[in-house]
Amino acid sequence: MSPASGPDPDLTRKERREQARAERKAMEAAAAQTAQRKRMLQLGGVIGLVVVLVVVIVLATSGGGGGGTGLQKGSKSNATVATVKSLVGGIPQSGNVLGNPNAPVTLQYFGDLECPICREFTLTSLPTIIKKYVRTGKLKIEYNSLETATHEQETFREQQVAAYAAGKQNLAWYFIELFYHEQGPEDSGYVTESYLQGLAQQVPGLNLPNWSAARNAPAYAEQVTHDAQVANAEGFTGTPSFLIGKSGQHMEKLETVSPEEVSGFEAAINKQLS
Amino acid sequence: MSDRALRTTMIVLATIGLGVASYLTYVHYSGMPPLCSTTHNTCLKVQTSIYSKLAGVPVALIGLIGYVVILASLLAPQREQTRFATMAFTLAGFGFSAYLTGREAFSLHEYCEWCLSSAAIMTVLACLSTWRFLRGAPAPGVPAGPSAEADAGTPLAAGS
Repeated sequence: MSPASGPDPDLTRKERREQARAERKAMEAAAAQTAQRKRMLQLGGVIGLVVVLVVVIVLATSGGGGGGTGLQKGSKSNATVATVKSLVGGIPQSGNVLGNPNAPVTLQYFGDLECPICREFTLTSLPTIIKKYVRTGKLKIEYNSLETATHEQETFREQQVAAYAAGKQNLAWYFIELFYHEQGPEDSGYVTESYLQGLAQQVPGLNLPNWSAARNAPAYAEQVTHDAQVANAEGFTGTPSFLIGKSGQHMEKLETVSPEEVSGFEAAINKQLS
Repeated sequence: MSDRALRTTMIVLATIGLGVASYLTYVHYSGMPPLCSTTHNTCLKVQTSIYSKLAGVPVALIGLIGYVVILASLLAPQREQTRFATMAFTLAGFGFSAYLTGREAFSLHEYCEWCLSSAAIMTVLACLSTWRFLRGAPAPGVPAGPSAEADAGTPLAAGS
């Protein structure tokens, strides 16, 4: 060891001890600073990974979970129309009601055409209900509107009036089913005049000039307002919401039902039928 | 706040969160409606929505697994790595909770009290675990709490 790097011979033992302690503290402080820097880097890495993870989940669930891909064209559109036709074709329709007018039980379905949960219900549980109860004349389903997922009131009114206007030709349920089948991604602003016109063109047998004229009738806009009043009176704030009862009698809420699980609906309908 | 007190607080919070997640998982698989103070059971609407599952797995079950992992990292012998693991798991849980709360607010327009309570617990856990990780191991001999070395191998649940 060279004299220059060793302890200063002029220092007392106490001074040398203090010098060593100061050096040790400086080293400890430097090590602590390095460790802190490392921790900050690790924290940054974790936060970055979490942000990436959340973005991936949001993107993954916005496609399939938050609605469909919008207006379909060509063979895809033909296949969807065929599916809807096989589901509701041949079943009596009157305005917004699907099913035998004398059916003993009525189910009121409060939905928002842009609501992805309503889409899920319409595509998963509703076909079973229609095949099992509506087609057999035991149940009729009345579609009512309730604004939830659609954020612009004017758009909500336009799309709902368009559906009700198809009901003037007793084809509302085609329009409603097609809307849900071809629902676009939530909040993407896909509902435009050309979207509504495109859907109307897909409805089998719909007279387009008459449909366009019916859209201007104040009765349908009033019906949307009336739907909202009924939903408010029932305390509904979410969609889909349901009322069920013997036709022409008091309707009660159908609350404890998961829209995805048809068994809850079947139990409620069977109870009304019994 | 001593490291031991901090860890005890986090274990209590994670246990409450585990209880909430367990209840929601049970509700999901049993098909019974969750208890909810709102008149039209918004919890049921949230729990049965399309966002209640991720890749076919109920989010309640994902939450339950998350809380179990967080608890395991808190009960394991405490070292730099376990503190880091707790922070990473709770931050991941916080991110996932933020996503779910966002879905409630902007997609479903409905709120579930159980989900919100779990999100609040996860937020506090993430804050505490980040603070705990950044301040490092407590210095040996500090009276505020046991050192990381002294604590190693002594799960808090058994020692407290």
